Amino acid sequence: MSALDFLELTIEPIDINSVARRVVPPECGATVTLDGYVRQFTKGRETLHLFYEAYEPMALKEMEKLIKAAKEQFEVSNIGIVHRLGKLEIGETSVVISVTSPHRKAAFAACEWLIRELKRSVPIWKKEVYADGEVWVEGET
Amino acid sequence: MPIHVLFFGATSTVTGKRQIDVDITDGKRAREIFDQLIAEYPLLAVHRLLFSVNQQYATGKEIIRDGDELAIFTAVSGG
Repeated sequence: MSALDFLELTIEPIDINSVARRVVPPECGATVTLDGYVRQFTKGRETLHLFYEAYEPMALKEMEKLIKAAKEQFEVSNIGIVHRLGKLEIGETSVVISVTSPHRKAAFAACEWLIRELKRSVPIWKKEVYADGEVWVEGET
Repeated sequence: MPIHVLFFGATSTVTGKRQIDVDITDGKRAREIFDQLIAEYPLLAVHRLLFSVNQQYATGKEIIRDGDELAIFTAVSGG
């Protein structure tokens, strides 16, 4: 972990630009930022809002592992990951991943890898709330 | 010897609890304790479950010690 890497869980709305700016060192030419947000329709069913819950201390450890692993695999400089928890309305940002690198290709590849791994290994769960009920979404194992 | 078991999301809905304290005999492996809890809350088995010991994904072979923190949760769905 470098001084510009960071990982956070927050119940406050996420400011995407501030996440993206925090990871930028002087030698970098590109920042790739993923803005993941709440979809209104999933498989044709309308979601009213979402609720995210985390096993917080383990989630932070897993996020740190992902940052370390991504920096070993890809030619990237810094990585910031922020995941929102609690109730989220449609269109609100649930996760932001920012990756800086001297060249854009590695940043795109690392960002894609990070979101895929985050969805597989970081202990955070999403509850979709519909007009007629709610369901905890289960990921793939 | 008391240990703590945490539940999140769907597993806390199934068990109706966020945490339970379980008294076990020393030297048990994680797998035995998880199996015992699934027997106690059979609806857990409907889900794709993941397990952790002291905030690390578990292999099941871990020897459980006094005060350890175990957790049972469903396949994660963040992002």
